[in-house]
Amino acid sequence: MNIDELRNRIESEITSLKTFEDVKKVKASLLGRKGLFSEYLDGLKLLDRDEKKIFGKEINLLKMHAESRLKELESFYLEEEKRKKEALDKIDITMPGKIPLLGKKHPITQTLEEIIRIFTSLGFSVAEGPDIEQEYYNFEALNIPKDHPARDMQDTFYIKSDIVLRTHTSPVQIRTMESQLPPVKIIAPGSVYRCDNDISHTPMFHQVEGLMVDKRVRFSDLKGILSIFIREIFGENTPLRFRPSYFPFTEPSAEVDIGCVICEGDGCRVCKETGWLEILGSGMVHPQVLRIVGYDPEEVSGFAFGMGVERIAMLKFGIDDIRQFYYNDIRFLSQF
Amino acid sequence: MRIPYEWLNEFVVLDINPYELASKLTMRGFEVEAIEEYKPSLDGVCVGEVVKIDLHPNAKNLTVCKVRTVKEVLPIVCGAKNVKEGDKVPVAMIGSTLANGLLIEKKNIKGVESLGMLCSEKELGLSDDHSGIFILPGEMKAGTKLDELTGLQDFVFDINVPPNRGDCLSVYGIAREVGSILNQRAKLPMFKLNGLSNKEISNLISLSVKDTEACPRYVLRMIAGVSMVPAPFWMRQRIQKCGMRPINAVVDVTNYVMLELGQPLHAFDYHSLREKRIEVRVANENIVFKTLDGEDRNILKGDILICDGSGPVAIAGIMGGENSEITEKTRDIALESAFFNPLSIRQTARRIGIRSEASLRFEKGIDLDNVDFAAERAIYLMNLTAGGVIVNGKQEVYDKKSSKSIFVNFGKIIDILGTPIEHNAIISSLRSIDLHIVKEEETGFVVSVPNFRHDLDEYMDIIEEVARIYGYDRIPATTPVGSFQVPKNEKRSAYFSSAKEYFTACGFHELINFAFFSVKDIENFLINSSDERFSGIPIMNPISKDYEIMRTFLAPNVLKTIAYNLNRGARNLQFFEMGKVFVAGHDTMPLEYPSICFVMTGKERDYFWRDSCAEFDFFDTKGVLEGFGARFRVQFDFVRSSEPFLMKNRSADVLLEGIKIGWVGEIEDSVLHTYNIEQKVYSAELRFDIMMEKSKINVQYKPIPRYPQVTRDFAFLVEGAVPVATMLEQIKTVSPLITAVGVFDMFKKETKSIALRVIFQSFEETLTDDAVNALQEIIIQKVTSIPGVTLRT
Repeated sequence: MNIDELRNRIESEITSLKTFEDVKKVKASLLGRKGLFSEYLDGLKLLDRDEKKIFGKEINLLKMHAESRLKELESFYLEEEKRKKEALDKIDITMPGKIPLLGKKHPITQTLEEIIRIFTSLGFSVAEGPDIEQEYYNFEALNIPKDHPARDMQDTFYIKSDIVLRTHTSPVQIRTMESQLPPVKIIAPGSVYRCDNDISHTPMFHQVEGLMVDKRVRFSDLKGILSIFIREIFGENTPLRFRPSYFPFTEPSAEVDIGCVICEGDGCRVCKETGWLEILGSGMVHPQVLRIVGYDPEEVSGFAFGMGVERIAMLKFGIDDIRQFYYNDIRFLSQF
Repeated sequence: MRIPYEWLNEFVVLDINPYELASKLTMRGFEVEAIEEYKPSLDGVCVGEVVKIDLHPNAKNLTVCKVRTVKEVLPIVCGAKNVKEGDKVPVAMIGSTLANGLLIEKKNIKGVESLGMLCSEKELGLSDDHSGIFILPGEMKAGTKLDELTGLQDFVFDINVPPNRGDCLSVYGIAREVGSILNQRAKLPMFKLNGLSNKEISNLISLSVKDTEACPRYVLRMIAGVSMVPAPFWMRQRIQKCGMRPINAVVDVTNYVMLELGQPLHAFDYHSLREKRIEVRVANENIVFKTLDGEDRNILKGDILICDGSGPVAIAGIMGGENSEITEKTRDIALESAFFNPLSIRQTARRIGIRSEASLRFEKGIDLDNVDFAAERAIYLMNLTAGGVIVNGKQEVYDKKSSKSIFVNFGKIIDILGTPIEHNAIISSLRSIDLHIVKEEETGFVVSVPNFRHDLDEYMDIIEEVARIYGYDRIPATTPVGSFQVPKNEKRSAYFSSAKEYFTACGFHELINFAFFSVKDIENFLINSSDERFSGIPIMNPISKDYEIMRTFLAPNVLKTIAYNLNRGARNLQFFEMGKVFVAGHDTMPLEYPSICFVMTGKERDYFWRDSCAEFDFFDTKGVLEGFGARFRVQFDFVRSSEPFLMKNRSADVLLEGIKIGWVGEIEDSVLHTYNIEQKVYSAELRFDIMMEKSKINVQYKPIPRYPQVTRDFAFLVEGAVPVATMLEQIKTVSPLITAVGVFDMFKKETKSIALRVIFQSFEETLTDDAVNALQEIIIQKVTSIPGVTLRT
């Protein structure tokens, strides 16, 4: 029995290995049931006892050696195989991902929803009224009789001689008070209409009206509620001021200004160099209005306010042309 | 109203910076919208006295003036004709630069050396007047700087006077408020009538007022022998600063006094008044009258007229007639100062479409007590500026009324304002604006309202005055007392926002369009006349033809937005809009209900490197709609639609519990063409009010099954027009164990092949193969019993 030949053969078979497949093949051809070692071990049967012992030991040593070498190589090539496979699988993570398409709510809607959120958190309910409104609710009941100079302040679209497109959301005040007893605490968001069409006016725009009537509602409460609102929507440190103004359905009336958000009070084109921006109109509900809806001004008092949603949105988003809201250009809408 | 600071200073002592004053006025309710600074550049311009005028030796149209400045006498060549020897004129010295940028240099004009330039008002940037050299007041000293001329440097306040404060449409009116701010009392101008003639007015003209309701006070004063000269510079300058145009001294004085005191005046040419009488009356018939602008005006019964012996000479408070107008030849003036009924003036002015400075003030009500003072003031100023002789006396009708008084409770003031203000502070703040206390009691006081305040009617008006003068900024900010209220009716706005959230999550951008469209849009959409969408509610005074009626559905405006964006290079668009639509109702008020419309065109995105992106089709749109239904837990049914603006084969009506609530489908090509759209557009519109009503939002939990589900796929060949819905219905009826049926494939060769996946699920046991096989057999049997359907093998 030629052990050297066996050793050489094993050595040459193992050193010629190149791949994981080769390892498997060689493993079979050497260590398999009909492999080389089996052949040699079978060959032992023909030898005498002493030779058997010597050769047997040699062969087993060689076999253990081969087994451990092959095991090493097997795991080496397995690793290599895995690496190769991984290299093939590798993706370019810089390729663009597939972004789900997301639409945007109109900036007016976003602004409206924020206003509504703030006031509902202060306990105001949302009320609604018709866009096509009786002249009575739009004017007379709000202490604006025919031929009142205040009607000049608004250019009204008429449907019939006594039916108009509401010029403000204030008629909702009247409708709400007519339908319930105090306490009343509502806001009324909605579309309003005026015959105007230029860089700073659109024939339709949006307002939010607010009304609170109860026993002992004070002008100072109006200041309190509106201050909370302004700071919530424009930021904690927004300067604000209340100044006397005139609305036929409130008395005393107050215009609320905030420190210009563009120039921070230094004076610019947007605030007409005053450092202040008009943001909403407000006041104590006129006793005449309370009487009209059957409330007793000696018993209850209240405040009301109204604001233009476009104006607030323009200031928040830095939009300088109100008409942008209504062109509905996708390059505009997708920005918000 | 434009108020010159320098003029204001005549009535109150302005020891305050104009900008500070402006902010105080704003906080008093007189918002100063802008301050215009008048700062003419007069460097190097001084007063010169013309000592001698010689003709230019070489030019016919020029003169050579010898002008004395500080110590020297300068030769200056001049082209103007209005300069006389002895006049004081502005001299631009060598080296100075005029308002228009012209640099003054030593010049030789046709052989004569000229050392400076005499200037017109325009050249100095003071006005547009370039008719001649600016002749300065004679009392100015030669050599002084022109800056010293009063009124040249000024600040003009542009004040937004509240519509109820007609009393502040004058410099004096504003001065009263400023006085209250500065703890002063505004002083009326002081003057004495000079040059009175020995003629009595009663011998020259008579006056009668037929209706003292229409005209409670009317004053006539006269001046004779005036000349039609320009008003002096200071007067013209003030009129201009207030935004009016100077004409001549007589007309300018009427405007000046109106601006100064708020009393509109009208000057008649005395000789044009027939029978030398004035009669104020209310028109008793409709007539046509020519006003001084040459227009024929329709006077209706009820309008207030000023008439002479033969007929109308003016529409009271609005405009004079051509027949009695002041002309260049006028020498004798009859001046009217009156109070006309504000409502009447307003109605007439509105109807004939004249909103003059005069009518504006009459409409808001002027100061009844001040009517004659203003007339005197004007006559005085006419005499001062246009010469002539003042006729003695006045003609007047005055229906005196007692002034209003109002009781105010101290407690009420404090309750309403929410801050304790001392009684004394209340009283003194009211006094500062001429509201005097006629009676004071423990609980309150009675205040009398001066005749110039037409805006004060009840206690609340007085409370506002107290707050205004006390200062809104001194009133604290409080939170309301009383119980906290939980907001009601939140469901509806929650529905709206979740609908909007659904669509934005699906990739749709929200639109807000105007709620109007045009009759043309209804025609474009081929809407039938019996359809409620056909009769839109028209607007009587639309802003344009495009916005002439209220929209009856949303789709046309949404489609216009698609066209707008396609025209600007967009190709893939997904939009939705929620808003009211308006249709005629059964009673007088129209119906308004919320509608929702969405639209998709192009494809989801232009490309994605890994996938191919398909163009949108009917099923994308239908899917969005079905998902929307699922969001609100309602089940839509779809039937073929007969909407005229949809493609017949690719459209459906949307039913909810058997009621049609909308449509979905591909917009008809011909409709798209009217809006110049050349790509396919899929759209849907639904009544959102009905959806909200039917929506089931209360969720009840179902236990998650503990046993595995079993899936079986089926393939059927379908001939003819069997809708897949019929097959699905059949399968669902087989067993309650069938929890879902879906279409997972469809293809068409000669016949259509439909592949369905059925899910079986028991809540009680693990389903055996045998059990499912048995159901499978029934399914095959049921489906193939539909004519035209066979099992694919």
